[in-house]
Amino acid sequence: MNSLLASAVAGLSAGGAYAILGVCAVFTYRLVAVVNFTGAAIGAAGTFVMVTLYESGYPLAIGVPAGIAAGALVATWIGIVMTTWFAGASASTKAAVTAALLVGIIAVGLRLTGGQHPHSFPELVTGSAFRFAGVEVTRASLLTLAIAVVFTLVTEQFLARTRTGLQLRALSLRPMAAELIGIRVRLLALCVWAVVGAVTSFALMVIAPLRSPDFMSLSLLVVPALAAALIGAFTSFRAALIGGLMIGIIEGVASGLDTFSQYRGAIPFLVILAVLLWSQRGARWDEAR
Amino acid sequence: MKYLTSLLLTSATACCGLALMGGSAAAAPTCEDGPIQLGSVSTITGPVDFSDGPSGAKAVFDQLNAAGGINGCTIEYTMADDKGDPQVAAQAARDLIDNRNVVALGGGASLLECAVNAGTYKRNDVLSVQGVGVDPMCFNAPTIAPVNVGPYTLTTAMLDYASNELKNEKLCAFFIILGGTQEAYAQAVKRWEAMSGKTIHLVDMTLPLQGDLTPYLIKARDSGCDAVLTNQVEPGVVQMINTADAQKIEGIDWIFLASGYTEGVAKALPDTRQPVYLGTEWEPYTEVNAANGDWMAVMEKAGLAKTAFSQGGYLAAKVLVDTISSIDGPVTRETIKAKLTEGKPMKYSIAGSDYVFGDAAKHAPMQATKVMQLSGGKWVPRTTDWYVLPPVE
Repeated sequence: MNSLLASAVAGLSAGGAYAILGVCAVFTYRLVAVVNFTGAAIGAAGTFVMVTLYESGYPLAIGVPAGIAAGALVATWIGIVMTTWFAGASASTKAAVTAALLVGIIAVGLRLTGGQHPHSFPELVTGSAFRFAGVEVTRASLLTLAIAVVFTLVTEQFLARTRTGLQLRALSLRPMAAELIGIRVRLLALCVWAVVGAVTSFALMVIAPLRSPDFMSLSLLVVPALAAALIGAFTSFRAALIGGLMIGIIEGVASGLDTFSQYRGAIPFLVILAVLLWSQRGARWDEAR
Repeated sequence: MKYLTSLLLTSATACCGLALMGGSAAAAPTCEDGPIQLGSVSTITGPVDFSDGPSGAKAVFDQLNAAGGINGCTIEYTMADDKGDPQVAAQAARDLIDNRNVVALGGGASLLECAVNAGTYKRNDVLSVQGVGVDPMCFNAPTIAPVNVGPYTLTTAMLDYASNELKNEKLCAFFIILGGTQEAYAQAVKRWEAMSGKTIHLVDMTLPLQGDLTPYLIKARDSGCDAVLTNQVEPGVVQMINTADAQKIEGIDWIFLASGYTEGVAKALPDTRQPVYLGTEWEPYTEVNAANGDWMAVMEKAGLAKTAFSQGGYLAAKVLVDTISSIDGPVTRETIKAKLTEGKPMKYSIAGSDYVFGDAAKHAPMQATKVMQLSGGKWVPRTTDWYVLPPVE
């Protein structure tokens, strides 16, 4: 039992990462109506800009802001692609476009960052906060969690209580109508992309030192992140936050159980499947009646 | 005149290592149909870039051609790219065999080429001196004999080293299983158990290629492992050691295979206090010494980076050059096959075992490694001697 608890706690650090990326995925979907497969790749791009600067001798005080800016820039660029050519496209088309962009970004990213060759990631926050069930809970994973929680709360309040928040909600629900009543749709959408880019970049900088330090692995964090977003049905920030944590913890527990650990990689998909079945249950039962 | 001939012969044997072939020194390979065609299939673009392997081989052939070739015969070497894709790999091999008419393959470094093409090579009676064999078929086909030790034999060797030299009692092994490698790693562990009469404490074949490693390291610690061997590749090695440091794990020797042996890994882990070891495929490429001398000279002359993969390409090319040099008469698939299957041991200073092709149903001639330890951001040889496994029964 104790070892199960240890495995669960060990899954926390992954869970925090999934949570923040999941919340960012919900953020993008709710505000610009895009299921964004490039979320983690944007963050990876920003992170690698920071690492490159760090490796060439610049201090972190320059590297981190530059990396965040680079992440925001890459995200804005994707935002420009999406708003210019796919503004009126259906959600599934937009998702397919970001999936295609993800493949492209990974290919370019791998080449530019030296493929699988590892980089020396500086730890932005070092050391462990406390020890629980025999597992060191690192400051980095707590910080990731904190970012996720703060981002969730701030976004909720911002959307509910500010005028820009209202405009953003209008933008995502009826983009055409919003444009007609004079909301600067494109500018707002690009701002949303930039914010997502900046937040994911910073989050990945914190996460990266304990992950496999190559571009592809970091970019593929998007899979569990989208599973987390799906738990929130791409609308609820809180559900995505908790969902991300849960996936991390379930993965941790699964790798502690010999029978299940080989299916560990399938957990995000099982979660997606379970959520889909659950969320569609009403329709199915109605039909049966 | 006689003096001159013997002088020429001596220099020829010295440069090409003919004496070591045991072949007749008067062998004179001929090539009436133009340059001798050789080729390789490697993963160059795609998930990984192994181009250092075939480029190393090409450097050997280019420099040989510049010096006049073998008995006037030059070598034309085609580097094909399999992009890590089985279909492309199959096409590339067919192109080399049918269109380029290669007489042998050599110096390739690929993730999957052996598994895809072993059958093709057998049907066409063409042999491959693989530079860096990765998939299990490289070590289990009659037509392929790699010049590298390979991850499976290295697993056995490093388990043995951990038990005998590092005096670890409870050995644990965590493997990332890609494609059909599970059986090969299981066999490697079994071979060590049979050899040493000991049993492994824990084997976990579920290590994820991507994902958080904390739960696995906690499992290793809580199971009481003294040493953990894994087949992690470069970024995974860094991640594992960083995670071990973050979890403040102590008293475990971390043992990796040659896939972790790069300067990038060492540089990314400058301050770790974890004991990290790994086994190399050849003479450690980071060491400047006599054993590496010729390889280094060739790479420097070609302006190539000195990497472990280029050692594989270089060594495979040397084997092919020496084999061709020992042929008396036309160089064809048949004559090369005849020479290689004779199974004469070939000795090279950058490898710890003699290279033997022979006519067995499968080949893993290289059974020796040198063990490196991570120290202050550098790989340092732990011993100057080769750690050699007893022959497979």
